[in-house]
Amino acid sequence: MADSSKGLKRSSAETEGSQDSKRVKTDGGSNGKMGGDKYNPYLAHLDEGAHNGFKSPLDELERHKTTALQAVKAEDSDTNPWTGRPHSQQYFKILKTRRDLPVHKQRQEFLDQYHQNQILVFVGETGSGKTTQIPQYVLYDELPHLTGKLIACTQPRRVAAMSVAQRVANELDVELGEEVGYSIRFENKTSSKTLLKYMTDGQLLREAMHDHDMTRYGCIILDEAHERTLATDILMALLKEISTRRKDLKIIVMSATLDAQKFQSYFFNAPLLAVPGRTHPVEIFYTPEPERDYVEAAVRTVLQIHASEPEGDILLFLTGEEEIEDACRRISLEVDEMIRESDAGPMSVYPLYGTLPPHQQQRIFDKAPEPFRKGGRPGRKCIVATNIAETSLTIDGIVYVVDPGFSKQKIYNPRTRVESLLVSPISKASAQQRAGRAGRTRPGKCFRLYTEKAFKKELIEQTYPEILRSNLSNTILELKKLGVQDLVHFDFMDPPAPETMMRALEELNYLACLDDDGELTRLGDLASQFPLDPALAVMLISSPEFYCSNEILSITSLLSVPQIWVRPNNARKRADEMKQQFAHPDGDHLTLLNAYHAYKGAEQNGEDMKKWCHEHFLSYRHLSSADNVRAQLKRIMETHEIELISTPFQNKEYYTNIRRALLAGFFMQVAMRESSNSKVYKTVKDDQLVMIHPSTVVTSPYDWVVYNEFVLTTKQYVRTVTNIRPEWLLEIAPIYYDLDTFEKGEIKSALTRVTEKVRRRQAMKGGR
Amino acid sequence: MAPQSDSKPRQQQTQQAQHTEEEEEEEDYMTMNFADDPATGISSSISTSRGPRVGETSLQRHQRLRREAEARARPKSKAELAAEAEARREEALSRSLMAARPQSKGLAMMAKMGFTPGSALGRRSGPGSLSSQKRAEEEGAPSAEPGVTTSSKDDDGGRTGGGGGDGPVTEPLRIAIKDGREGIGLESERKRKLREAAEAAGERAKRARADETEYRERLRREREEARWAGQLAAAQKVAERMAAAAAGDDAGLRDGEGNDVGTTTSLVGETAARPLLKSIPVEWRGLVRAREEAERDRRMRYDLEQGLASRLPTYEDPEEDEDDKRALGKTARTMYVTADDLDEEDPELDEFEALPVDERLRRVVEFLRERHNYCFWCKFAYPDKEMDGCPGMTEEDHD
Repeated sequence: MADSSKGLKRSSAETEGSQDSKRVKTDGGSNGKMGGDKYNPYLAHLDEGAHNGFKSPLDELERHKTTALQAVKAEDSDTNPWTGRPHSQQYFKILKTRRDLPVHKQRQEFLDQYHQNQILVFVGETGSGKTTQIPQYVLYDELPHLTGKLIACTQPRRVAAMSVAQRVANELDVELGEEVGYSIRFENKTSSKTLLKYMTDGQLLREAMHDHDMTRYGCIILDEAHERTLATDILMALLKEISTRRKDLKIIVMSATLDAQKFQSYFFNAPLLAVPGRTHPVEIFYTPEPERDYVEAAVRTVLQIHASEPEGDILLFLTGEEEIEDACRRISLEVDEMIRESDAGPMSVYPLYGTLPPHQQQRIFDKAPEPFRKGGRPGRKCIVATNIAETSLTIDGIVYVVDPGFSKQKIYNPRTRVESLLVSPISKASAQQRAGRAGRTRPGKCFRLYTEKAFKKELIEQTYPEILRSNLSNTILELKKLGVQDLVHFDFMDPPAPETMMRALEELNYLACLDDDGELTRLGDLASQFPLDPALAVMLISSPEFYCSNEILSITSLLSVPQIWVRPNNARKRADEMKQQFAHPDGDHLTLLNAYHAYKGAEQNGEDMKKWCHEHFLSYRHLSSADNVRAQLKRIMETHEIELISTPFQNKEYYTNIRRALLAGFFMQVAMRESSNSKVYKTVKDDQLVMIHPSTVVTSPYDWVVYNEFVLTTKQYVRTVTNIRPEWLLEIAPIYYDLDTFEKGEIKSALTRVTEKVRRRQAMKGGR
Repeated sequence: MAPQSDSKPRQQQTQQAQHTEEEEEEEDYMTMNFADDPATGISSSISTSRGPRVGETSLQRHQRLRREAEARARPKSKAELAAEAEARREEALSRSLMAARPQSKGLAMMAKMGFTPGSALGRRSGPGSLSSQKRAEEEGAPSAEPGVTTSSKDDDGGRTGGGGGDGPVTEPLRIAIKDGREGIGLESERKRKLREAAEAAGERAKRARADETEYRERLRREREEARWAGQLAAAQKVAERMAAAAAGDDAGLRDGEGNDVGTTTSLVGETAARPLLKSIPVEWRGLVRAREEAERDRRMRYDLEQGLASRLPTYEDPEEDEDDKRALGKTARTMYVTADDLDEEDPELDEFEALPVDERLRRVVEFLRERHNYCFWCKFAYPDKEMDGCPGMTEEDHD
């Protein structure tokens, strides 16, 4: 993906280019070059012998028998074979750079292997061009316009799917969303014309739920398979199964690391094709002693490089937003001092992490600053990034890598049902990947902030695949929907721990998505239609029973996007005051809803929403994406005839209904206050001691709360909480709250008291 | 609620022991009832249930409940809370769900699909499954016990097995929480040190637990060791004297007094009398070193107490002659050569000093016999290597 950077840099130039081609298109139409018959690539096979004066460069090609030479010829032709329009200037310019990519040299070899095999494992280091080129090579061989069977290329990340699709659309000189499109959760940019589709792996999995044999596709390319995301793992298992049923389906598994053997043996010893990346040697340095403070050590190392190493940019890996921002500040301050005191060169420091707004992410591609005067000490840039800079994007010019050896990793343990992001040591494979980033432009150096002994002894070989680190309730529901009967013997590449599956089945059973025999219920089937976690889906589906499906729909959408609250370091107090304006005393869910309603109200008043959000310390990006998610979910609800209703706002039950509806999905995420003067809560059934996250608006010490997530750092927190009443638990989730299943303890006795109270009250009512 | 520093809930400090059950009866101060049931100690009161106990009077029960309420009502410190939360988490993490009662419905569903507790998931046959079967059998045994299975095969970071590669997992991955910003390897380094310290402490504890006979034995040994130490010093002195005597003989130039070089000889002579530490046989090097160090310290103290002139004793003016020096108080006596080698590391000596005292004594005695044909126990220098007449190597031989 060397080109993602270039693609991004060029984006402005490219838009001009595409406008050009648009104009050309209309011109072509008025010229009547093709007569009344508009060229239709789907009917190209009818155009035997070019009787209407137009000869497609693809005519010579025979599906699954093409050669690289033929394809190159088609690419070189003046007419775009996919649109019938003339190729733009820009196209040929990009074509030239494409021909320089390492993967291009092996185009014929690739095609030979592709023709001979159903499944192919392709290994190409980052920068080989595999993500953009291989799908196009397949396109020129698969000729999907003849068969109507699409080519899919999966990506683990939404952003990658979008940006690569854009890049490839430019390379093919077509409009994004037409011949080349993308499909990610809550966003689909494809059309009936689409031949090549980039999509997230999760999206393909969702499609498979309705099309068990993936009949829409002629070739499926699983890219970045080495990342071993949950969805990619499930897809591999599914495709392996489908490949025996559908001999015409071609599968390419692409990986950036050289441990492809595992993929080969998993896919019936599929052949391997490897393309070398463009890499230079990287010298690796270790520290003699373990570090006391890795952030401190990292900052020091960066400064040392700046002071004493020749020209070249620096990439520093840290774990999270806060740490990165902190490090950036410290480095900038120290560099300023170095400039004043010892005539150091200028250095621009850029943070890079997932939640950073795109235009700020873009800045990492800026050029390093010029020296202060001609012949002065060179300027450089320093990028402080999370592990997104490890494989998924390439920044040219990096010569020095500083690797403290940590990253934030998701971990799930079914015994406490806690899924959390924890700072953990990386694997040896990750460390090598990081070091490799230094050798992209010229020989580089990698400074590892740990000892060589620690590298050998303390780092695991490979990062654990996500399937071993995740809650599987969503996956199990999907597999059930995919028609997998025997989950126990399902052919996972790395089977999850039995307890994880057990917990998932149990949770789905409590949510009434699976019956006691493990069969999908009607509710389960419905829940699987929503691209949501089962608890959220069930909450949404049950919400009409509580007369508040409109509100629950909004809350669900808000919970499906990143935090909408903005709390900049320099204006924390102001931000908190603003948040207080939306605060609902009963809890954070309701506060979210208030903020959303205020947002919609301001929108209707025709306010400048960006400005409004900024003033109210809300994230415009996340709120508008929540709005988009809401629209998508609403459509799904409408197709399944789930009523959209609200309790009138004047009704005093308005908020109560919403609070009750939350429990319909989240009754397994409830905590009780430990004692009357304590701030400590105990989670139901798991008996974990937690505190309410400081970000909450809740000030009263409620005895019972429902929470959206359990956050494990050095402390245990529950985040996004709302006050509930214990009677509701017994009423809404009687099976989960069957007191016979509870272990003896305070929660059980508290609930027993509640049961008795309810019974007494009912007896009194009955007596009257 | 007033924070209570006293952790004993039995002390009735909280009259206002508020709890949901209102209208609690006033405590009857006249009855001497302590309800001293050890089972309701503070630790158990937190975790155990509040169900009725056998053989408990209503009064006892009442007090127990009150105590428990107090224990709950007392605000805990942050550290206590953190420790408790962690303990609770670790407990939950170490308990396999397979053993949970009542049995999970999830397990029942899996059993229907052919799952047997202890085995791994995944494809039925194939290369990997044989080893996994074996692993499952190994791990099946402990998990059959009610409650606890141990999943910490590896105490460093709790990462079981290698990442990928070897057979499918039968246990969830461990959660290891990292607090602070310590670099990789620091934790294990610290653990190693802690382990060593713990071992040393255990050793000491063991010694402290010594009973009476051990005590006597220890006293005896200590006395013995003290005696050996005295003998060792004596033997080392003998060795030094004999070495000096031998040096005097060999040189033939100086008179046999050896030790008393004094003011008459030059400065060079002074240093020559005490050759470089490293050249002294390790058997008595320690003696010289200790003496030199004591001497240096004494002189430094002395110099400090003297005037300015003597505070700069190392300054040597080539213009000065003997008399000037004496006049300025810079005679050889007060002029000391900074013994550089005193500050040097001496691993050979350290190694020797680390030996038990009796072993060191044995080595010095042996050294004296070999080098000078002198038996420390006979207190006699024999004329030849045979050492005819000496009963043997050890002190016992001379009894």
